[in-house]
Amino acid sequence: MGFSLSFLLRKFLFRLDERLQLIIVAALVGLGGGYAAVALNSGLQSGSLYLFPLRSHWYAVFFPAVGAALSVFFLHHLVRDIGGHGVPEVIYSVTRRGGLLRFRSSFSRLVSCFLTIASGGSAGPEAPVVISGASIGSNIASFFYLKDRQRTVIVGCGAAAAIAAIFNAPATGIAFALEAILGEWTPINVVPIAIASVVGTEVSRALQGNQIPFRHHIFHISNADLAACLGLALLTAMSSVIFMRLLRVVSAKAGVIIRKVWLRAAAGGLLVGLIGLAMPDVLGEGYEYIREIIDGQYAASIFIAGALVLAKILATSFTIGSGGSGGVFAPCLVIGSLTGLFFQRGLESLFPHMTWAGESYFGLLGMAGVVSSVLQAPMTGIFLIIEITGGYDVLISVVVVSVLSATLSHFFEPHSIYHIELIKRGELLRPRTDARVLSELSVMELLEKDCRVVHPEMRLRDFVSIVEASHRDYFPVVDSEDGRFVGMIHLDDIRSFLFDTRLHDSVLVEELVNRNVVSVSPEDELPDILRTFDETHSWSLPVVQSGKFLGLISKATLLDHYRKELMAQEAG
Amino acid sequence: MKNQLLHVFRNTPFGRETFLQSIYFCKMTGLHLKVFIPKHPQFLMYFSREVVTVDLDKSYLRSLETARGHAEELIREAGIDASFLEPRRYTASTLPDIPVDFGFMTCPRTVSDLSSKVGLGYIGPRVRAIIRNAVFPVVIPRSVYKEWKQIVVFFGGSANALNAFRLGVKLQLLSGLPLALFTYAEKKPKSYYEGILEEQNLLSGIRTGGVEWRFIEKGSFKDGLYHVSHDALVVAGAYGHGLIRELVFGNMMEEIQSILPNNLVIVGPNFVEE
Repeated sequence: MGFSLSFLLRKFLFRLDERLQLIIVAALVGLGGGYAAVALNSGLQSGSLYLFPLRSHWYAVFFPAVGAALSVFFLHHLVRDIGGHGVPEVIYSVTRRGGLLRFRSSFSRLVSCFLTIASGGSAGPEAPVVISGASIGSNIASFFYLKDRQRTVIVGCGAAAAIAAIFNAPATGIAFALEAILGEWTPINVVPIAIASVVGTEVSRALQGNQIPFRHHIFHISNADLAACLGLALLTAMSSVIFMRLLRVVSAKAGVIIRKVWLRAAAGGLLVGLIGLAMPDVLGEGYEYIREIIDGQYAASIFIAGALVLAKILATSFTIGSGGSGGVFAPCLVIGSLTGLFFQRGLESLFPHMTWAGESYFGLLGMAGVVSSVLQAPMTGIFLIIEITGGYDVLISVVVVSVLSATLSHFFEPHSIYHIELIKRGELLRPRTDARVLSELSVMELLEKDCRVVHPEMRLRDFVSIVEASHRDYFPVVDSEDGRFVGMIHLDDIRSFLFDTRLHDSVLVEELVNRNVVSVSPEDELPDILRTFDETHSWSLPVVQSGKFLGLISKATLLDHYRKELMAQEAG
Repeated sequence: MKNQLLHVFRNTPFGRETFLQSIYFCKMTGLHLKVFIPKHPQFLMYFSREVVTVDLDKSYLRSLETARGHAEELIREAGIDASFLEPRRYTASTLPDIPVDFGFMTCPRTVSDLSSKVGLGYIGPRVRAIIRNAVFPVVIPRSVYKEWKQIVVFFGGSANALNAFRLGVKLQLLSGLPLALFTYAEKKPKSYYEGILEEQNLLSGIRTGGVEWRFIEKGSFKDGLYHVSHDALVVAGAYGHGLIRELVFGNMMEEIQSILPNNLVIVGPNFVEE
């Protein structure tokens, strides 16, 4: 019965227009992403409720260590998934694998993230929810036999729904999916992503209520405040660069110092616990402290605010860098709001006679600045701040800080925290780039097998008759006994021999063959092959595997297929 | 890479036996042997609709420092064409992606559990997932190296069985070994099966005597399996009849692989004949 139903569902969907298919599946994925976000959010709230009273005890210092170790045990040994926050995995699947994601990713990070954050680890629930939503999307798309390009959009829908649900912010979900995950804003992407985002938000509102995460305040913004935004942008860019570099250093060193993953995570958690002894505000996701800052109720001097910025950066680097599960989105918001607070306190000290917009205003701008810089996604930062505070009066200031901070930090850290790992491995292929188009093609697709193979012992006369009957300039030479590739003859190199009939019976092919010809393998990447064409100034290259000649690959065919693939991608 | 057989190397005595089976398979068919020595406990195979995570049991990572040497030694002795697969893509730093466009792949019946737990009649979930998704047939070798002298195709009339027959013919051409078709009648007349084969232009080989057809009409299917030669390579479609064939093997398939001690080649539902 179950199989018949799934068959009918697929049949029904198949008959629809492609755009309608995407819209229906996007709505389903929106539901899944929304529920995943609400589940994690509710879990974290319950966890905090139980553990918060215990944080005052001495043994609370071990909570993050135990939580991180349990999180790693669950992830690596029970569900056999990998660590990290998972967003690079989603982007990799979108750029390289047609949006295919493993089913286990739809739940594994939710549980491990809950264990990390509820125990006090400094991380955010957003990235695990993103991979969960994206994985739900990918698997639903596969269930309905959607094409690779459609599945990619649906993965974006899952990510959008998750972000929209967790922040109760549909526009932020759309901006995040398009800016950070898919990397392109096209009409075909926007509609289903918007639908998923709205459905995800509605799920969140239905189950948790329509609450704006941070209360809206009316700000009296003067020209001096706007001018101060420039200074704040500089400061948020600095915080972001320090955070990204420290996280990278801890990630790299932790694996070298402690080999066992659970022990590494526990050690990181213990360091976080120790920081938490002195500054408990850095523990967990930290939204309650952002709320206090925005409400103007966070009592901290300039020195404490500065120390908290550094402590939060350290705690997050230890938590995530040592293998704990969680994302950087929430820590970015906390670091940003504390940076804003630090800046506001600094302004008050330096200019005591001036009236400033207040710590709420600078806290908000700080969040936008750090999110935009670390994610290199200014639109996401702008939408997020506007939506989660419900106020549009700070729009100009938010745009200034976001754009300026992202630009300044780009100078020192040119890539988003989600992209660094992929760029290092050469796996980030943004839409409409040569590498992305070529990644859709393979050597075997372009292989030309209609070439005449000649043998070394062949006389020039016989070779000339083959040339007369052929339309090609390149002739591969293959050993007649063992079939091994010997080399190539290019007509341009031997033209003088061809017209000298006296040589036709005295010269053999083996005397004409170029044995130093560069060959390529069927497993080579096309961008590398294109580079080889340029370096060798060739128009055709032999494809050889284990010494055997398979065929030729020509520059003209490659460029022709490139053009066709580009047109297909443009058509969506 | 359709002319290649992928083998995931295990540096243990059990792994050596299965590796010898792959070497023999390549020797008989002229395929290129592609050897993958895993360095991480998992790898991914991105098929067209599903990512299969292959969680390897610990024995696959045993004595990695001698693994390549051992594999090379066996390849050298056999004198076959082989190379090693180095993953180029990684989903994460410890999660390599393995290409999925091979001609064949060798899988022991289970890769995620310890070999000591392997009993007859059990094919592990990862191997099932590979068979379910792969466009290539999967070679399931027995635990002890054994040469095969003929090819037997199980034919029950399904689409996968037709693919299995086509593959059997291809293997016959490549190896030069005799090919037999094994059919358990299931209360249907021989003409029914002939009609299916005729429709696909596959009956001529049988009529000209190039393929022997063993048609079992009496007794149970299990009893009939005794007539399959012990030194045959058995080729069969992955799924039998039934409603749940999309998820699990049909009963007939389970019975074949649990009763017969032969090396098997399983043709999955996504198999693409070149």
